[in-house]
Amino acid sequence: MPAVLEFLDIIKDYRGLFRRRTVRALDHFTLQVEQGEIFGFLGPNGAGKTTAIHLAMGFVRPSRGSGKMLGQRFGNANARRKVGFLAENVALYHRPAETLVRFYGALNGLSGETLTRRTREALDTVGLLHESSRNVAKFSRGMLQRIGLAQAIVHDPDLLILDEPTSALDPLARYAVREMLLDLRNRGKTIFLSSHLLSEVELICDRIAVLNRGRLVRTGRPTELLESSEEVAIVAKGIPSASFPSAEAESENRIRFLIRAGEQRYAIEKVWSLGGEVISVSPRKRSLEDLFLELTSTGSSRDAAKMPSVPNAAEEP
Amino acid sequence: MKHFRPIWMIALNFVREQRWPILVLQLWVLGLAALGLLTDFRHDRDDVLLMFKQLGMYGVAFSVFFGGSAIYNERRSRRILAVLGKSITRRDYLSGLLLGVMLAAGLFCFVLGFTGTWILGSIGFPVAQIWYLMLCVLAACMLASSVALFYSTHLNPWMSALLTGLTLGVPGVVAFELGGTWGYILPVYSLMRVFLKASFEESGTHASWAILVAMGETVFLWLAASWIFGQIDVAVAVD
Repeated sequence: MPAVLEFLDIIKDYRGLFRRRTVRALDHFTLQVEQGEIFGFLGPNGAGKTTAIHLAMGFVRPSRGSGKMLGQRFGNANARRKVGFLAENVALYHRPAETLVRFYGALNGLSGETLTRRTREALDTVGLLHESSRNVAKFSRGMLQRIGLAQAIVHDPDLLILDEPTSALDPLARYAVREMLLDLRNRGKTIFLSSHLLSEVELICDRIAVLNRGRLVRTGRPTELLESSEEVAIVAKGIPSASFPSAEAESENRIRFLIRAGEQRYAIEKVWSLGGEVISVSPRKRSLEDLFLELTSTGSSRDAAKMPSVPNAAEEP
Repeated sequence: MKHFRPIWMIALNFVREQRWPILVLQLWVLGLAALGLLTDFRHDRDDVLLMFKQLGMYGVAFSVFFGGSAIYNERRSRRILAVLGKSITRRDYLSGLLLGVMLAAGLFCFVLGFTGTWILGSIGFPVAQIWYLMLCVLAACMLASSVALFYSTHLNPWMSALLTGLTLGVPGVVAFELGGTWGYILPVYSLMRVFLKASFEESGTHASWAILVAMGETVFLWLAASWIFGQIDVAVAVD
């Protein structure tokens, strides 16, 4: 099955006035998003996430490389007919919510009864049907984000590209959006989700990719990525906790300790030689935050101060 | 027709977004006409005509303003992203904006023509000539706004305003000095000269060729602007 979204060895440079200053936002970036998955796109500020999304939507052009969305080259208007997009820091026209969602739905080719029905369904999905006649200029930031989601789903897209869709939402609304995304995934839709909310990404994403300074540093299923191949956790019983320096008592007769993967055999033999019994041996699970920090902290904070600002209306290149 | 719908929607959206300056401009014309009724304007008919010409000039100036600021405002507010995220091409988007500017200019010319018919027509100015002059103003508005829109697709507002001024001004100076066919190079000056030279004594001057050339150049500028706008990064700040 062809990838729904495909970046092929893309380089994106932003050039300053008279091309004196160049910032590389994406550096040989290659990524495939398969149909029917929720794909989490992670990275610190300035990593290039928004640039990658803007490339896919055709707002910016790659300096080198190419990409496809729903089988069409980036920027193809027909392909966008089946794509729902929510930009970071959503900016919409000031008019009643229903009129606004109708406007965006009509731009995507909906009309008549279908447009009316889909508009009301989209507003209902994001919990704003009762506010449909209220002008969005009077909406809170969270409500604006929800109306932004409504305009993204009004035409029932096959692919949703969401840039920080829940950053301004309260926990209840965030839960509702999460459920909505899972429901869309179950209906065969593909969701490409950029987010800083790691716990949320960990909860719903089938695969994740971590971007740092324009380079893809890791991609895979959360379960695979969060398992550390360097350390294993051993649970044993019948031996004193002092037998291993890192051991902690789990229960009255049971201890748990971490050791390097290479020392696993030695540790198990030691448990047996002390008359104990090994209950379990499992790779240590990290949190997504641990992984994120591990992959993105190398020099980024030090270099961030040195990096020239990117000439982008978005908050990152 | 289906293809035209998004363009029409973007045009109407532009008019809605600019409704206050557009409304003020129309009310200004109607207000001045109403004021004229309070005075005995039949004895000051040259003054009335001068005011009519002044308003026509404002129409061109506002068209340049609308054309030059349309894309800049959308990019600065980032509202362009939600629109271009839909299944419309950059050319459709630009066409919608240009059509919106033309709707605003057309509405202004209609209101000015209507009040001209009402006021100037009642003191002996040929009504048919008033509407012909409005056609000249509308053609000038279209061309001037498309020049402004063309530069605003790829330049910051200051540079865009400067080059729009030069592009519209220099051919005007050349046409003024050399006359003849030079007046057909971006003929905003030629069109407005016909409008400004109209008088009760000599109201029959025509500029039909200049109108046709202005329309052709508007189409050319629209195509050129669409091509350039299709090549640039729209998510990058313009200033």
